[in-house]
Amino acid sequence: MGVNNGASPLVRQAGELIEQIPGGIKLVDAVELLVAWGRANSVWPLVYATSCCAIEMMSTIAARHDLARFGYEVMRASVRQADMIILAGTISEKMAKNLVTLYEQMPAPKYIIAMGSCAISGGPFYYDSYSVIKGGDRLVPVDVYIPGCPPRPEALLQGVMQLQEKIKKEGRRNPWRVGSTLQVPFENLFAKAQEEWAAQEKQRDEELREAREQFQRENPKSTASKPTRQKKETFPTPTRKKQIAKGISNWTLLQTIQEKFPSVEVYGHPSISPKAAAELGSEYILDLVVPPEQYRAFAEYVKNEASLGLDLLLQLTCVDWQEYFDVVVQLLSSRDGHKLFFRSRVAKNAENGDGEIETISDLYRGAEWHEREVYDLFGVQFRNHPDLRRIFLENDFPGYPLRKDYDDPTRVVKRPY
Amino acid sequence: MATDTEKNEKAMTMQLINKYIPDNPLPEGFRLPLSNDSEAEEFFINIGPQHPSTHGVLRVVVRLDGETVVEVVPHLGYIHRGIEKMAENQTYIQNLHLSDRLDYLSAFFNNLCLCMTVEQALEIGIPERGEYIRIMISELQRLQSHLLWWGVLGMDMGGFTTFFYAFRERELINDIFEELCGARLTVNYFRPGGSSADVPDTFIPRVKNLISALRKVLDEYQTLLNRNIIFLERTKGIGILPPETALSYGCTGAVLRGSGVNYDVRRHDPYSIYEQFDFDIPLGKTGDCYDRCQVRMEEMEQSLRILEQAVTRFPSGPYRSQPKPTYKLPKGSYYSQVETPRGLLGVYIVSEGETKPYRLKYRSPNFSNLSVLNEMVVGHKLADLITILSTLDLVIPDIDR
Repeated sequence: MGVNNGASPLVRQAGELIEQIPGGIKLVDAVELLVAWGRANSVWPLVYATSCCAIEMMSTIAARHDLARFGYEVMRASVRQADMIILAGTISEKMAKNLVTLYEQMPAPKYIIAMGSCAISGGPFYYDSYSVIKGGDRLVPVDVYIPGCPPRPEALLQGVMQLQEKIKKEGRRNPWRVGSTLQVPFENLFAKAQEEWAAQEKQRDEELREAREQFQRENPKSTASKPTRQKKETFPTPTRKKQIAKGISNWTLLQTIQEKFPSVEVYGHPSISPKAAAELGSEYILDLVVPPEQYRAFAEYVKNEASLGLDLLLQLTCVDWQEYFDVVVQLLSSRDGHKLFFRSRVAKNAENGDGEIETISDLYRGAEWHEREVYDLFGVQFRNHPDLRRIFLENDFPGYPLRKDYDDPTRVVKRPY
Repeated sequence: MATDTEKNEKAMTMQLINKYIPDNPLPEGFRLPLSNDSEAEEFFINIGPQHPSTHGVLRVVVRLDGETVVEVVPHLGYIHRGIEKMAENQTYIQNLHLSDRLDYLSAFFNNLCLCMTVEQALEIGIPERGEYIRIMISELQRLQSHLLWWGVLGMDMGGFTTFFYAFRERELINDIFEELCGARLTVNYFRPGGSSADVPDTFIPRVKNLISALRKVLDEYQTLLNRNIIFLERTKGIGILPPETALSYGCTGAVLRGSGVNYDVRRHDPYSIYEQFDFDIPLGKTGDCYDRCQVRMEEMEQSLRILEQAVTRFPSGPYRSQPKPTYKLPKGSYYSQVETPRGLLGVYIVSEGETKPYRLKYRSPNFSNLSVLNEMVVGHKLADLITILSTLDLVIPDIDR
């Protein structure tokens, strides 16, 4: 590591000289104790927040919990001014490089607190996720782990106090003084702690047994009461109140569209009449199947036809049906409140399973990012898209993760149950 | 003024660039061609992913001419966790806990939307008390989220005070949540057919307390920040979003209503029992940052109004309908939507008749709201970019999912 505690060689030599004087070692100890005390009580954390835990970190800084009581309130935006990173949230693969850079840029002595399950082990994203780093300590050395999802502010305060304890104890065995650390025999702190815990457990068991025996001696006739079973609650089953359909009815919508595009059908109900479509219920959203060659023309029609009023693109997404993709477009009328979904089948290319379809990003501007997302996660190409790049994953990410046949054992830990 | 030699040097550099980099020499995502104007002083700066004003891990690359923004390209995915892939291997009830972690400031809404989709597919009804619980909790969450937004808005503009004020009141709401379900943030509370637990006895008194406390402070907030001259100067006329652009990009929530488009799911496509409540939909006029702020401030008042009505009418009785061990959705696709503090959240489930979804897609409001960024910031100063980002009220994990 080559970190030498910031002391110049002259100071270190002087320290080593003083150590050799009888009683001098105590002087060095005292100075180091003072330094460690000061260091423990003025750690400057970096504002490093990726997800949910960040909000709890903010709560901890705010008035009720007040992190300033521990001298940790100077949140720095630049890592070069900070001493500590609180890993508040999930670390994804794309963020990993940045985290390592941040750690390297931080001046020593530097500390890391892993806040929450994600930073400890990947937490809820351990299984099945293809882009989450399973634990901050796979990238950077972590000093304190705080369990919780997210941990409460009190837990973060406890973690901060643990870090203070750790810094104060560093003293002469300061890990940042690499030279001296290498000389002392290696100490397995974890094994030692485990032994201590085992001893404590044993002692507690012993005490409990004695207490139990004493109780039985004093009350020989007492019998343990049976645990009562919680009464099973029964709940009613009320009928569902259906939402009222808003805006243009499915009947009119389908009739208007089929006049213009006769080959358009209702998904799941082939060759259904507009009247029958209206009887599918008030909550049924019209879901049309558009032939892929008409996809673009259809989108143009519903966008420009003012009487339909479908002006807001909810989303454009994709479903992988093994043999082919379905590109689903979901539209909403902000004026009247009715919705229209339509889908087009995109055939899979035999060699690599990619598909291709026209873009609609010049009609609905919002579709541009949705199409990039579909390209990123499914590998469907959009012809004439102005900027078809991956949106979430790195450019060199192998495969398209949301496909059903995606399998990457180097990234994904499969759920065992 | 650039001298002739400087101009010559610049022209020569451009020639060299064009010679050795024949294709687009701009960083990823930029589309405007290089400026021909020799007076232009264009350069690129990178903001994020590790930056305190991007509200998480958003990365924005800005092309500047002096201090004026020419073009901006957001880069996403620094917190992409693959929740939609994970969802395919988990049952609907297991998926609830993942939905909490999407937009953690509106965790109740995410739960609610997923539950509503399951209810729609299986025709599950909810007792009246359950509906009231849902609405009250949703409005509390909206207040909580808007309070945090307000605190951070002030912080982004350089004043730290608002942060402490907002969190003071936010903790009161968090106390209610904590008593309700044991969690402050990732709540995992709603279930198909109601909620996982009944509200405690202290719930109604606490909400009453909160209403009176918030009524007082909202006025104080207006005086503290929203009528402050610096605030007005920095928000009025900044980041104007025309209604057509907002619709075209699929913006929803306060971003859309700030531009004057009257669309609120609670009113125009009412779910739960919102049609029984009396509340207004605040609208902006010009669509600038100030309008978006005022819409959110006004929404807090309206949430209090809904809460007041709900408190007086809060019924007794069962809080949920009979739960099932597993929820097996019939084959087909289902969609439902709710109005979260940030806009329209939709859940689209494709089911193959299994206990697990074949495909689960979250329609994230932040994703669409962020995509409009470039349209809003062009021509403004770099400092305004932060203000505009702040008035969009983004939660990055919801964008990346």
